[in-house]
Amino acid sequence: MNLDAFPVLAASDEEISALAKHHGLALSVEDLREIAGKLGRDPGIVEVHAFDAQWSEHCSYKSSRPLLRQLPTEGLTVMLGPAEDAGILRLGEWDGSTWGIVIAHESHNHPSQLVPFEGAATGIGGIVRDVLCMGATVIGVADPLRFGRIDRADPKSEHAKYVAKNVVRGIGAYGNAIGVPNIAGDVYFHEGFDDNCLVNVVALGLLRDSDIIHSVAPPKSVGWDIVLVGKATDRSGFGGAAFSSVVLDADQSEAQRSAVQVPDPFLKNVIMRASYRVFEMLRKERITAGFKDLGAGGIMGCTAELVSGGGFGAEIDLDRVLLAQDGLPPAVIAVGETQERLAWVLPRSITPRVLAIYNEEFSLPLVAQGAGAAVIGRVTEAREYVLRHQGREVMRTPLQVLCGELRRQRNLGWISHTAEDNDLPHWVEATLLPEILAHRDVCSRRPIIERYDSVVRGTTAIPAGYADAGVICPIPGAPLGVALSVDGNPRYGKIDAKRAAELAVCEAHRNVVAVGARPIGLTDCLNFGNPERGDHYAQLVAAVDGLAETARGLGTPFVSGNVSLYNESTTGEAVPASSIVACVGSIEDVSRTVTSRFTTAGSAIYLVGERQPNLAGSVFAEVRAFQAFALPTVSYPQVKRELEMVLSAITSGTVLAAHDISDGGLLVTLAEMTFAFAAPGTIGARIELADLAKTIGTAGFFFGEAGGFVLEVDPKRESDFVSLAGEFALPLTRLGTTIAQPIMQIDETIFSIAELFDAWDQPLQEVYP
Amino acid sequence: MTPRVAVLTFPGSNSEVETVRACQAAGMTTDLVHWTADLDHVRSYAAYVLPGGFAYEDRVRAGAIAAHDRLMQAVREGADVGKLVLGICNGAQILLEAGLAPGFGGTYEARPTASFTHNAQRAFLCRAVHVQLAVEPRRCALTAALPRSIVLPMWASHGEGRLAAHPDVLAQLEAKNHVVFRYSDERGNPIEAPNGSALAAAAITNEAGNVLAIMPHPERSNVLFQQVWSPQRRAAWGNREQILSPAGGHAFFTAFAAALKQG
Repeated sequence: MNLDAFPVLAASDEEISALAKHHGLALSVEDLREIAGKLGRDPGIVEVHAFDAQWSEHCSYKSSRPLLRQLPTEGLTVMLGPAEDAGILRLGEWDGSTWGIVIAHESHNHPSQLVPFEGAATGIGGIVRDVLCMGATVIGVADPLRFGRIDRADPKSEHAKYVAKNVVRGIGAYGNAIGVPNIAGDVYFHEGFDDNCLVNVVALGLLRDSDIIHSVAPPKSVGWDIVLVGKATDRSGFGGAAFSSVVLDADQSEAQRSAVQVPDPFLKNVIMRASYRVFEMLRKERITAGFKDLGAGGIMGCTAELVSGGGFGAEIDLDRVLLAQDGLPPAVIAVGETQERLAWVLPRSITPRVLAIYNEEFSLPLVAQGAGAAVIGRVTEAREYVLRHQGREVMRTPLQVLCGELRRQRNLGWISHTAEDNDLPHWVEATLLPEILAHRDVCSRRPIIERYDSVVRGTTAIPAGYADAGVICPIPGAPLGVALSVDGNPRYGKIDAKRAAELAVCEAHRNVVAVGARPIGLTDCLNFGNPERGDHYAQLVAAVDGLAETARGLGTPFVSGNVSLYNESTTGEAVPASSIVACVGSIEDVSRTVTSRFTTAGSAIYLVGERQPNLAGSVFAEVRAFQAFALPTVSYPQVKRELEMVLSAITSGTVLAAHDISDGGLLVTLAEMTFAFAAPGTIGARIELADLAKTIGTAGFFFGEAGGFVLEVDPKRESDFVSLAGEFALPLTRLGTTIAQPIMQIDETIFSIAELFDAWDQPLQEVYP
Repeated sequence: MTPRVAVLTFPGSNSEVETVRACQAAGMTTDLVHWTADLDHVRSYAAYVLPGGFAYEDRVRAGAIAAHDRLMQAVREGADVGKLVLGICNGAQILLEAGLAPGFGGTYEARPTASFTHNAQRAFLCRAVHVQLAVEPRRCALTAALPRSIVLPMWASHGEGRLAAHPDVLAQLEAKNHVVFRYSDERGNPIEAPNGSALAAAAITNEAGNVLAIMPHPERSNVLFQQVWSPQRRAAWGNREQILSPAGGHAFFTAFAAALKQG
């Protein structure tokens, strides 16, 4: 082999470290010595860049993989667990086929902090490819967002506002252009994200179980073509995987900006449609192929994993890659993360027809300069990854070294134990409600939701904002529905990483059940600090424990996920522990769903679940500026019974509207049920203080955030409902009735719905006018 | 022979599949035709629908590049001989850019005289809206079969949907009844357009009435399950046949189908 070597074997630690820095590598001296040791020689320059991507935290999960093994990943609803670019859940039967919902969940935190518009847009772009490459039609996206505080008059707030505005603009610009509805999401604003926002993204796809395309070279594919599809390769996104696996550094932000990729939703729109046509052709011809998204590590990362997964090797000719500019170094071509690219492994007989679909029928070369589909290499029997450039071999690396499992033992640090809560407020007037409704974490998300196309594809049954989960009806003519919710409260994460994870799993379940869907699967994105720091790593460990326990307790598997580490403030503080959980629900009959809006005057209003006096992490605690440490507690058997009962009550028609209790507490839930999303509603509520309020105190009763449901119950079916709750041995509280006047009355306190709506509807309009 | 409808796509179109579905649900034989199709093949269709999206990335202005696409030759020729032409959202923007609507003087104009441009709030807006038929149904061939003053639910979903033109042009649009649909509330009471559109206009026709450029999407509101806010949907709770049945914007497509049948 004739390559420019990166001297390690004969070099000192200082020399290695200096050279690594010169090449902009995130690999440590320890990593480089291990690579040279495993190869039995000095690595080449292209090779070290390849390892820099493959051995990054982002690609290798080297700190988190053993932890993630704790998560339950099996169940009757699992069609494909977490092994490939996305997981697949069983939706149901229709038209003689079994249909699956593909789900992927990623983060694009660091890019979005530096260049919010592009960072957020490429986040959507990447997740959509993860779903597409399973052979699925992309049917929905959702964005959990965590921004810094936007409500203080200081430069940090100004910057947080800039990030918050442009992330939303980027998501809209990309998602709207490719024609995928944005059906769910959540937003929190917390000072812990001032220097490091979180931009997570979830995407859903639809396919028949017989049409899954795996992200590996199929059996007996030696000699098959490796075809690269998409945008012409350029300099953008060089070092992206490594960049996402280091702490953002103010001094290096200019250099790190070059690691950010450039989105092209216009080209992606066409690539998606052309790929759907290829899927159709492969189905008709009954051909098995491999298909994978190019993400971290570019051409090298994608094609190495494609062939490695099948037990093969690859030879790639970098001169056959369509380039946007001359003179790109081989390492940039091989590892750079130019967006909007995917790779196929195809039998040679079918390659010309696939190329014709992309290049002629959908005219990729005319849609974007230099774009197209081209054969760049082939699958080989030897389990080696070989790259050629201008007649020279620039990489020949055993795949078990490049893609083999990597582990880094991290030291478990110490998390401070929470103190006892003393002297908490016990009695409070309901008159505080407008202030709670106007809180930045409670107020209407409409100014954001309306910037996203939530109804393109014509399949949206409950758009974001109308209920606790978004619902789509993805198969034309079929009554099957899919519900999606994302959750994870950073105010809880700041106090207790484990409990926050547990509560996120519970809330995601509740949100899906509140529309009448059965939870069938979960994904998670673990957004944490620096795993090399014991105290940060301990939070990650605790959070995974919490996720695993709760998912087991509720019997719902995780099928996909992502870990994003090194999320820190400039002063080295980790972001609030953020296990962001997405829950998918299946709906057998979409006509049996409800929204969170009161429908009829004269209905009974019921509370399901217990209220707790615990106030830690609540909006109330922040508004009243007191410290508290006791988060709401979780009892799995009880939560599970609540979920079963509410689902049964909704699908049997006794419930007319349902809303879960979360941010802001019970009174916020009730107020939101009187709102018509874009306007104050016409149906009000009269609430009488229940005995429960007298026992635990109005503070916890009104504004405590322990999970639960508020249900509008059909008065004609009230006794059925009460006996159903009895069967499940669940405590019920009758709160009051819906009324035909637009007011909300809590004992003697009377609000006009218009007044409450204005308090709730206005705040975010200042950021998103 | 059954008249066939072509839903024409450009690079960047994104609503083609549901538009084809909505046309088919109204009984029209409909094909999806891509921008690389042979022009003579495109000429063989009896009517054209330009779907929503961001054709050619909406470079320059929304619809400006697509208005000059090769496919538009066939659309212009068709419009001139009275074929039905419907543009929805981005399709509407393209028709205005191509001068096919309002088309004063009986033909298309070399330069656009009106445009659907940036919303008053200068941001994308996705919102459930209602529009009311604001002219005599027969003024436009595509609405001839609709009841007078009908109110239809649709989805506004655009960044550039505000009708803007010189005041003289706006006066002419009013005087010659080019504004086929206006934004209204669900009972048909006039409202200010949510995007600030002049004349509260949601749709514009040409002089002959065979071309219709409509900004909000009837195809995203043509099945009952898509109308989460509607009392009819609530009334259909538990009735899966009904909730999957045509509703709302479907009437718009059945009127289109009726016009196509008449020829």
